[in-house]
Amino acid sequence: MNRRVVGIATLAASAALVVAGCGSSGGSTSSGGGGGTIIRGTIDQPISYDPAGVYDLPSWDGIVNVYQTLLTIPPGGNKPEPDAAQSCDFTNPTTYKCTLKSGNVFSDGSALDSKDVKFSFDRNVKINDPQGAASLLADMKSISAPDKQTVVFNLKKPDATWPFLMTVQSFAIVPADGSNAYPADKLQPSADVVGSGHYTVAQYEPGQQTVFQRNTKYTGSDPAKNDTAIVQYFDKPSALKLAVEQGDVDVGYRSFSPTDLKDLRSSDGVSVVGGAGTEIRYLVFNQKLMAGDTDAQKLAIRQAVAQTIDRAAIAKNVYDGTVTPLYSMVPQGLQFATTAFKDTYGAGPNVAAAKKALADAGVKTPVDLELWYTPSHYGAGSADEYAEIQHQLEDSGLFNVTLKSTEWNQYDEAALTDKYPEFQFGWYPDYPDANDYTAYFFAKNSFLNDGYSNPQMDKLLAQEVATTNDTERAKIFDQIQKISAQDVPTIPIWQGGQVAAVRDGVTGVQDTFDSAYLFRLWVISKG
Amino acid sequence: MHGQGTSLRTYVLTRLALAVPTVFVLLTLVFLLMRVAPGDPISAALGGHVSQQELAKRRHAAGYDKPILEQYATYMGDAVTGNLGTTLTDHRSIGSILSENGTATLELSVIAFIIALAVGIPVGVLAGRFRDTPIDVGGRLFGIVVYAAPVFFTGFLAQLLFGSALGWLPTSGRVGPITEFTLDKTTHIYLLDTVIAGDWSAFWDVVKHLILPAVTLGLLISGIIIRLVRVNLLQTMKGDYVEAARARGISERRVVMQHAFRNALVPVVTVAGLQFAILLGGAILTEETFNWPGIGGELVRYLNNRDYIAVQGIITVFAIAVVLISVVIDLVNAFIDPRVRYG
Repeated sequence: MNRRVVGIATLAASAALVVAGCGSSGGSTSSGGGGGTIIRGTIDQPISYDPAGVYDLPSWDGIVNVYQTLLTIPPGGNKPEPDAAQSCDFTNPTTYKCTLKSGNVFSDGSALDSKDVKFSFDRNVKINDPQGAASLLADMKSISAPDKQTVVFNLKKPDATWPFLMTVQSFAIVPADGSNAYPADKLQPSADVVGSGHYTVAQYEPGQQTVFQRNTKYTGSDPAKNDTAIVQYFDKPSALKLAVEQGDVDVGYRSFSPTDLKDLRSSDGVSVVGGAGTEIRYLVFNQKLMAGDTDAQKLAIRQAVAQTIDRAAIAKNVYDGTVTPLYSMVPQGLQFATTAFKDTYGAGPNVAAAKKALADAGVKTPVDLELWYTPSHYGAGSADEYAEIQHQLEDSGLFNVTLKSTEWNQYDEAALTDKYPEFQFGWYPDYPDANDYTAYFFAKNSFLNDGYSNPQMDKLLAQEVATTNDTERAKIFDQIQKISAQDVPTIPIWQGGQVAAVRDGVTGVQDTFDSAYLFRLWVISKG
Repeated sequence: MHGQGTSLRTYVLTRLALAVPTVFVLLTLVFLLMRVAPGDPISAALGGHVSQQELAKRRHAAGYDKPILEQYATYMGDAVTGNLGTTLTDHRSIGSILSENGTATLELSVIAFIIALAVGIPVGVLAGRFRDTPIDVGGRLFGIVVYAAPVFFTGFLAQLLFGSALGWLPTSGRVGPITEFTLDKTTHIYLLDTVIAGDWSAFWDVVKHLILPAVTLGLLISGIIIRLVRVNLLQTMKGDYVEAARARGISERRVVMQHAFRNALVPVVTVAGLQFAILLGGAILTEETFNWPGIGGELVRYLNNRDYIAVQGIITVFAIAVVLISVVIDLVNAFIDPRVRYG
């Protein structure tokens, strides 16, 4: 290489920079597509678009836009309503019958009938994918399709959550026959999926983007308000934030840190919109490991912690108001949610009451607590959140807190196998019913493996799942939540709202923020 | 001549034979490291949402609890036959990751390497030619700063300046979302694909997205090249043949460029070649900083998801690439410099 070559190369690089500076539009939306194209940026990456292979939020977010389920939670709602079905009802406590709408078709033009529904459920159970949600169908004894428009589920036992299960995206309807029939015993490649929902998948590049195009054969009553929706994947919230600021994406969702949101609120051309959310964070006590010599002392310690934690301060100081204090494991917005912890202990901390509870039980103070959290799995705010909790507990003079943390790969197994006395956990809904926020946590031998057992609680949980009467269920869930506040196997800390950063001119994002926790691209429009 | 050819052939065969156990050891290490590390794809995705018993059932169904020797035998058998498997988390073949994401890394690495050479060689030559002058001090300082500054820091500053503040350049991705969708990806090397398609608007989109990551990474590598060229130029400038050239009245510029510089390049080629091999794997931080959909970024994503089939597949390819490139460099050196040959 001689000097001339080097000089030319340097000039070329300089020229490229200068011309880029003059010519860059920065935003991809200006390079084509027009008002009919919506670009969503996210750090959530799906694992599959075959319903049988997924049990995760990012995949559900894609599937909800491509397929129909028998029932659905409509935007803004919190109860199942017909989607591919015309109606669904229990004909007896263990028989659930659905009648399909006439004229349902897949995006390839083939008819969607009861055979496809039966195939979809049978296939889900048969494949039983390790990353799928077939385990949620444990109560299904069989499914039959007596005629083209009718599907009948035979259940092993009465299950009031069944209508909600029919809304779960893992049980979306896939084609049983025709040129695009799904294989019965293995997953369909994500780039080749066919559904009857609002969109078709025009392109899927893992880690880069999914392009959804309006399904022209969609027969539902609320067609997409845009022609094309591109979901662009980012590795980090900081990259997503820059992309929103530069106009490379129209909507940034999920997830931003409170600091990012603060910056975005002051960015030109960007607004931050929020809505209801049902993601929760809570503290678990392993009753086999926690401090206290007797069950009564352990109970007093748990109650004292519940009385000392200041949820409002956590929401304000750590999350800048982007989350709200949670006073029951059942988040607000869901049917049957109460504020049991507030009703039992008050909205704010009550150190005097905590001190009395400990003294009455003969617990020596300060009580040693070993609080565990995981630093990234539940968001970057976890470290600050648990530092705030430590500060609150120690300032009361009643507790001596040791904070410990480890990454998720070790954390979840250690937490659930009797390694941590007190630990942070989080939850997002499988289905938006109070059952999903109680039975999983409070039943004897729950997945938390925390040693909690209360026969009265078990009886109530069995009763709520066995009745479909809303009035009865409301009473039962009220009791369940009251007992959970008295027994304190877990302490609900906060409930996350859904928050998106939206470029000017984009509308409808807030319409998809509800208890279903799904991002429906079809409600968004631009221009 | 005949003797030299035999010696070179022996050297080539020896070098290639040594590559085989090297790759074998690397494959074994990758396998063991991934099994020693805690977690698996199912607990990474569903942990905290289903019971430990349910997780155990799913692990069993997926075959993650098979005896380690059985898994090792399967892995090595597949590796020997070139089948690196399918990712556990999103069901992609390792081949598709290489073709889609590996080409992104290759494109970034090649452009960054060109920038590194374009900056590193002239600055190094100038620093060597004008030793102990302000030009030399400036060149060395520049080399140290660009090499010492962490790539994520330099990248972040570049994003803030050229992306956020000036709005000149995009800060993430390989291309805009719409171009990504509309581009016909024949080779998956987007510069080539846009040229093949004759889509100059898309070409410009690709160039704009390449500038910040390639310059950031290129400058980092140029720091090494600057120092290397400078030191070797100073060494060769002390050579008798350089003195002889000067004595013959040849201009200093010609002495430097035609006599000293060419000889100074021999060790530079070796190190630069190795740098390129390392660049293929070492672009991870740059890819993470600029959300570049390269193989390094994918590796991090699969690591987070505990997808050990994906991780071991990608690392295996990296390892083989580095071994092969180092073999090629050794062979090139053997051709250039007979002293390195065996026998």
